[in-house]
Amino acid sequence: MTREIGCKMASQSLFQKYGGFAKVSRVVLAFYDKVLDSEQIGDFFDEIDMSRLVDHQTKFIASILGGPASYTNERLHQLHAHIGISDDDFDEMAKLLNEALEERGFEPGDREAVMQEIESRRNFIVSRNGA
Amino acid sequence: MSISAINEQLLRAIGVGIAIVGEEDLGFRFHNEKFAEWFGEPDASLPDVFSELSIDQLRDGLAADGSYSIECRVKPKRRMLIIALSLSRATSNGESLLVVECQNITRIRELESMIDSYSTMVERNTREIERERERAERLLLNIMPKTVYEEFKTFGVVNPHLYEEVTVVMLDFIGFTKLVTQVDPNTIVSELNDIFTSFDRISEQFGCERIKTMGDAYLAVAGMPEPNPDHARAVANCAIRFVRYLERRNMSSSIHWNARVGIATGSVVGSVVGVQKYVYDIFGEAVNLASRLQVFADPMQIIAHNEMKKSLVEEFTLSDLGRHEVRGFGEMRLIDLSTELKGTNTRHRDRMDPRN
Repeated sequence: MTREIGCKMASQSLFQKYGGFAKVSRVVLAFYDKVLDSEQIGDFFDEIDMSRLVDHQTKFIASILGGPASYTNERLHQLHAHIGISDDDFDEMAKLLNEALEERGFEPGDREAVMQEIESRRNFIVSRNGA
Repeated sequence: MSISAINEQLLRAIGVGIAIVGEEDLGFRFHNEKFAEWFGEPDASLPDVFSELSIDQLRDGLAADGSYSIECRVKPKRRMLIIALSLSRATSNGESLLVVECQNITRIRELESMIDSYSTMVERNTREIERERERAERLLLNIMPKTVYEEFKTFGVVNPHLYEEVTVVMLDFIGFTKLVTQVDPNTIVSELNDIFTSFDRISEQFGCERIKTMGDAYLAVAGMPEPNPDHARAVANCAIRFVRYLERRNMSSSIHWNARVGIATGSVVGSVVGVQKYVYDIFGEAVNLASRLQVFADPMQIIAHNEMKKSLVEEFTLSDLGRHEVRGFGEMRLIDLSTELKGTNTRHRDRMDPRN
């Protein structure tokens, strides 16, 4: 299977499979809550405007699930380059998204596919200063 | 338990922040737990807690309709909360009070942000899809006439149509195969592209429709899909301009393009062929005959058949080429269509003559 940006399955994307924006919006909100409540990564969002964060997460999750909007890896890199995200932070983010997907009824295989999508972007999100 | 005690318990328990302040001093008389969770334990007056609150506007609002509302932002923890404040008048034991009702509308604002963000994405996608659709439409219009495309768009299929009376022009270059081996392919293709583009323009100008090119051959037709009683003359005009265009071009070009041209009137069937790869094509006697007649032509000569004479004789210079055996059609009388146009004066006079 060739993997494209946005995890498009053979015929339909996860975005379509799970009912489009109506359902995915709940994943976004669940993820948003988890991220803000997280001890590990919550501080990153301390000073960020709510609407900007929601906007970013909506687009990110939509594109990861194969919905409209796709963040290119270059764009992701630009957005995260100056924040100083560690591998642990990245793992936490992936874990929280996985939880949000699970709570919203995503099947294990589909969650696995999303996690692979996320993992493939690790190098564009994690800061590798001096490494 | 007294009614007032029940009321107070209710006020403490609900998920809405409630405070009661004196209307005059705006000092706190009561607040519930939710209020304290969001704004801390109030120890002074209302303006100390809500910096967004303008006392003047509050007084004006209360004077106008007895209530006043604003939105304010607090950040008790990491998350910025957006609280809708609504203040309204009440009295208790003769004292004028204000009831401060605080609704947490953060989720609503978050959802609004999300919908904004999503609709931006969808709108952008819609614009992209629209552009894509236009591109596809342009492509389809390149391979089929507009009316056929309309039929295709409406019904999803195109029924084959028999067109009884059309005229077809077939043009083929002489020595093209040899040319391909001698000249740089890029040059050949770019020249051919240039020529066919000009032919398309000529066709359009004279009401003909290019059906296809096959390698170095060019096939156009007049009289379909819209019927045109002047189809023979339209095609003759095109054919002459094709040749004259090539002659002019050859004067200033290193590659000399010589063509044979056949034109024929008759019936054709037009249809979309193919399932995945659509091609609009025409078949039938007029196509076959034009293609056969083209073979009889000398370089830069246009050959027609005798049946076209009556449509062409007034406007064009024709000469009889005698009878020839045409494969598939038997013996036919052929005519040469001169690329010299008759004087514009003659044509003008003919047109103006009321007897015509």
